[in-house]
Amino acid sequence: MLFRILKNSFLKRPKAVFLVFLSIAMGAAVATAFLGIAGEVSHKMALELRSYGANILLEPAAVEGGGVLHEEDLPKIKTVFWKYNITGFTPYLFGVAEISSGTKRERGVVTGTWFNKQLEVEGEAPTVQGIKVIAPWWDLRGRWPEAADEAIVGAALAKRLGTAVGKELVTTVGGRSRRFRVAGIVTTGGFEEEQLFAPLVTVQELLQKQGKVSRVLVSALTVPMDDFGRKDPAGMNKDDYEKWYCTAYVTSVAKNVEEVMAGSRAKPIWQIASAEGALLKKLNGVMIFLTILALGSAATAVSTSLMASMAERSSEIALMKAVGADRFQISSIFLGETLIISIAGGIIGYLIGDRLGVFISRTVFNSTIISPLWLFPTAIISALVVALAGSVAPLRRALLIEPVRVLKG
Amino acid sequence: MAANIIETSGLTRSYGDICALKPLDLRVAEGEWLSVMGHSGSGKSTLLNIMGGLDRPSGGSLRVGEEDLLALTEDGLARFRRDYVGIIFQQHHLVPYLSAVENVMLAQYFHSVPDEAEARSALERVGLGHRLKNRPGELSGGEQQRVCIARAIINSPKLLLGDEPTGNLDHKSTLMIMELLRELRAEERFTVIMVTHNQEVATWGDRTIYLDDGVLVREERNEQGES
Repeated sequence: MLFRILKNSFLKRPKAVFLVFLSIAMGAAVATAFLGIAGEVSHKMALELRSYGANILLEPAAVEGGGVLHEEDLPKIKTVFWKYNITGFTPYLFGVAEISSGTKRERGVVTGTWFNKQLEVEGEAPTVQGIKVIAPWWDLRGRWPEAADEAIVGAALAKRLGTAVGKELVTTVGGRSRRFRVAGIVTTGGFEEEQLFAPLVTVQELLQKQGKVSRVLVSALTVPMDDFGRKDPAGMNKDDYEKWYCTAYVTSVAKNVEEVMAGSRAKPIWQIASAEGALLKKLNGVMIFLTILALGSAATAVSTSLMASMAERSSEIALMKAVGADRFQISSIFLGETLIISIAGGIIGYLIGDRLGVFISRTVFNSTIISPLWLFPTAIISALVVALAGSVAPLRRALLIEPVRVLKG
Repeated sequence: MAANIIETSGLTRSYGDICALKPLDLRVAEGEWLSVMGHSGSGKSTLLNIMGGLDRPSGGSLRVGEEDLLALTEDGLARFRRDYVGIIFQQHHLVPYLSAVENVMLAQYFHSVPDEAEARSALERVGLGHRLKNRPGELSGGEQQRVCIARAIINSPKLLLGDEPTGNLDHKSTLMIMELLRELRAEERFTVIMVTHNQEVATWGDRTIYLDDGVLVREERNEQGES
C-alpha cells in the first residue's frame, strides 16, 4: 500500500517531485565535485607552494670538531620512504674567500651548489635537482652556469664589485685562486644577493673540501601539522610512531631524510612549513565550507519545495489523520517519498558531480582526477542529509495539521 | 436494554471566548442511530468531532466504549479513530490520486494490513463493484459518498459518524445512501451518529437531538428509525 501511495503521489505531482529531485541532485553534484577535487586541489596547491622555498634543512649533526655531510650520500634522499614527496633538493658548501673584479676586491661568501643537475639513482627514474628546482622564484639576469668555471653573483655583491654578465671574477682562499666567468646576476631579495654561487665541485676544490657539503635544503610535499604531528616521536609507542612515520608531516619526512644522510640532523624550516600548513588548512576549510554551503542551499530549496507541496496536500494529510494515521505513519509516508527522491537525486548528483569535478580539474588545474570509491556513498549520504534536513520543517508542519480544521465543511 | 457506548458529562468546547458546546450530558446506547440536528453554528459538528476523537473538549468527561478520550495522547486518539470509528464526510474527502479500491485500502493500511479482496468486497457491498479502479474525479457525488462509506466500514468500526453525509446529494442519491446505511447497520451492528440539517434524513435515526447555541434543547424518538 505504501508503494501505491508513493507511486501515485509521484505520478500525480511530477513538477513538485522534480523540483525536490533537482535540488537534491544539484546539492549532491556540487558536494561530489568539490570533495572529488579537494584532494587534487590540495596536492596541486602543495606543489605550487613548494616553489616558495625548501621546507627542510639538513645540517651536520653537532659533534665534536664539527660534523660534515657527504655529497655521495645525496642520491639516497631519492630512495627514502617519502621519496615521491620530495620534489627537489640542493646541497650547499660555504666558504669565505677574497673576491676581486678588476681593481675592486672584498671578502665574501662563495657557495658551491648544484644548479640544474641530472641525478641518476639506481632503480629510480632520473631527476633534475638543484637551485633551479627548489628556488624557481630567483630572478636571474643572464643564465645558469653550465661549465665548472662559471658562476652567478648576487646582485648586491655584483654592484659593489662593479661586475656584470660576461665579466670575470677571481676568488682566492688560502693562496688558491679560481677564475670564474659571470654567467648571471641573481636577485632574490635575501642574503643570497651577497654571495657568489659556483658549481659544487669547483668550490670543493677551491676550499679543499672534496666530497663535502655544509647543508642541504630539501623541498617536500607535506600535510598540515596537527596536534598528533606536533608530538615528540621519542615519547611515542610503536603504533603511534608508525602512524606518525607514515603520515607526511614535515617532521616525519625530515626524520626520513635524516636517516639516510650519515651524520646529519634534519630540521623543518618552520616559517615555511607552518605557512604552507596554514594555507592548505585554510584551502581545505574553504572547500568544506563551500560544500556545506552548497548542501545547505540545497536543503533550503528542498524545504521550500516540500513546504509548498505540503500546503497543497494538507487535506490529504488531514484525511489520513482522520482515518487513523498516527505521527509515525504520516512520517513514514513523507520520509519514504523523500528517501526515494534523495537516492535517485544522489545517484544522478554523483554522475553529474563526477563529470563536473573532472571538468573543473581539467580547466582550472590542468589535470585529470579519478574519483575515489568513497565518493559514491558520500554523494548518496549527502543527498540523504540534504533531504532529511530539508524535510524537518515540512514534516513538522504536516504533523501539526489538525484534521478538524482542514476538513471542515 | 443495550449498554451505553458513549457517555458525556458536562462536556464543553470553547474557542477562545466563544463557547461552541455548553455543558452537555448525553448517553448513546450501543447500536443506536442518533441524529443530531441544529442550525449552523449550533455545535453539532463540534460534538461529532469530539466524539470521533478529531477534536478535544475543553472540559467535562467523555467515554466512548472503554476509552476515556480526555486521557488519550495525540497518537492514542489516532489509534482510537482507526480502531473504533468510521467517518463519512459531507465533502467525501477521498485521495484524488488513488482509485476507489485504493482509497478503501488506505484505511486498512493505517489500521492493520491492506487486503485488496476485502476492500473490493466492501465496495461491492455499497454497489460499486464495477467502479473499483476509477478515481474520485471519475465518480458521481453519490458514488464518491459510497466509496466513503466503504472506507468507513472497512475496519468494522463500533461507531459510524456522519457529518451531513447527504448534504451534497440529490434526493434520489440521499435515499439510496440512507438505505445503504440502514442495511449496513443491520449487518454490522455499529452505532451511528449523524449530523444533518435535513429533517427527513434525521428521521432515519432512532432518536434525534436538537442543539441550539451549544445547548441540547430537545430530543425525540423517531418511529421510522425504530421500525
